[in-house]
Amino acid sequence: MSEPLVIALPKGALYDEAVRRLGAAGVDVPGEVGRRLHVLAGDGATELLVLRSNDVPAYVEFGAADCGIVGKDTLWETDRSVSELADLGFGECRLVVAARRADGYHEGVRYPTFLRVATKFKRAAQAYFAERDVPCEVIALHGSVELAPLVGLADAIVDLVATGATLREHDMVVVDEIARSSARFVVNPVRFRTKYDALTGLLSRLQRA
Amino acid sequence: MRIPPGVRDWLPQEFAFKREVEERIRDVFHSWSYSEVLTPTFELYEALEQGLGELMAETFRFTDPNGAALVLRTELTTPIARLVAARLRHATLPLRLCYLANAFRYEEPQLGRMREFTQAGAELIGAAGASADAEALFMAVETLDAVGLDDARFDVSDVAIVDGALAGVGLVEEDAQLCKEMIARRNLVALREFGSTHAVEERRFERLLELTMMRGRDDVLRAVEPICVTEASQAALTRLSEILARAAALGWGERINIDFALLRDLRYYTGLVFEGYIADLGFSICGGGRYDALLPRMGYNVPAVGWMVGVERILLALERRRKDERPRNEVDVLVSGSDAVARRERAKGLRVRVDARGLDRAALLEYARDKEIPRVILVHGGREEEISEVPR
Repeated sequence: MSEPLVIALPKGALYDEAVRRLGAAGVDVPGEVGRRLHVLAGDGATELLVLRSNDVPAYVEFGAADCGIVGKDTLWETDRSVSELADLGFGECRLVVAARRADGYHEGVRYPTFLRVATKFKRAAQAYFAERDVPCEVIALHGSVELAPLVGLADAIVDLVATGATLREHDMVVVDEIARSSARFVVNPVRFRTKYDALTGLLSRLQRA
Repeated sequence: MRIPPGVRDWLPQEFAFKREVEERIRDVFHSWSYSEVLTPTFELYEALEQGLGELMAETFRFTDPNGAALVLRTELTTPIARLVAARLRHATLPLRLCYLANAFRYEEPQLGRMREFTQAGAELIGAAGASADAEALFMAVETLDAVGLDDARFDVSDVAIVDGALAGVGLVEEDAQLCKEMIARRNLVALREFGSTHAVEERRFERLLELTMMRGRDDVLRAVEPICVTEASQAALTRLSEILARAAALGWGERINIDFALLRDLRYYTGLVFEGYIADLGFSICGGGRYDALLPRMGYNVPAVGWMVGVERILLALERRRKDERPRNEVDVLVSGSDAVARRERAKGLRVRVDARGLDRAALLEYARDKEIPRVILVHGGREEEISEVPR
């Protein structure tokens, strides 16, 4: 039999829908993956690597996985050269600048002369403010970014928003939308060639699913 | 005692392996009658600035005590172009030059990417056309064959074909450049988004998307033909199909494919582009193409085609395949007690180890057994005793 196709899957928000789509595309992921990181799909011809979403691009770039499913928000923050073949249309969210409603930035109040921004998306945030010539310091955090403006750590945040509930809970509002994210199907540029039929086949089944 | 990130030591066995691979590469270069050259490890910043472009950000830069800005070479093609433009301007064309040297790039060290690495490559300067293109590609195939990667595959494309297809879709200048970058990264999502936000002829743009996903042989040529509107792209199609036919005649038909989206460095290549790779590594091992604009930028108006291979990448590929190979013995004969006898044996072309510790007979034989040295010569009181087939 030929080499199995290796797919990298992100743990977290995209996981369940990714598994459902793969199932519809004929790749059955066992329901009980549990703590296993490396599983064989029901078709016996596909291997799955279950990874932290931030690690998916690296696995695909080096060819440890042939392809993967990953959010665009993860790709923003890396230089990994992977080919982005399709927008799978789920896991949609927006990357936004948000701040406390009371500060009024969303109503045109000018930013402080030196803005402090807390975010998990350091590169996207830096690029956004640099493009607009807003002098700023980006404070890289790993979670609970909404807290930063409330305790005076930052003037604004750059974060993902799906429904906006978290922002409302903290009495924050969207100041500007930076970009839209959704799940992407990415492949290793060399494996695109060496496993061309398997990869393009999977892609077209995923797009129909 | 540390060494900086991105560089490495080569221990004896690893280095012997590297040298062996390098010798095989050199043999192929010589068999194609290329002459080896070497340029300085560092050069004046201003001399290389012309050719390096994006790579400039990855250079190790420093100044000499007089304040002159210097850079370590990041690759060999630009320095060789400089050498040709400055020193070999009156040499008969075409020139066939090859190199095997280390180069330096300041980038994040990772698998297959070091800050100091070894490149081997060949440049055919002063020749245009399908035959020169084929020569570069075929040398690359034979080189990977010679080092033991005879399962390597090659994908080819031509910048002029992609340009022709973009013109056929009605994209020019900035828009064409933008789309070309997306095609080079095979970013279908960005291309689709471009198509939906710009005024493009839908059916033809759809064709461009299909081409970006396409890989094959004559079928790709046939698919791209109708939308290639420029003369240059039609000429490129003819060249590419000639190269494919010539490769097939050599029995390489199955190993060479057309990948429309293979563009490599956009700023650099002007015609043929190719890459070689194997199934078990996720990145290419060698690559090259036609770069007709580089020498003219240095004031010498000649075309050129060339290619290079990363020696460490070959080693990485081979390492995985020769795990259980035993290290080779390094000594042919062990000599004790006579400088003259040792010298006589060396003169025969043998690898001679001279006992430096004054070991007695039993200890010498023990040493020879341990190191798998097949012959021992003991000279004692003017009498020479030779033991071949050292007993186990």
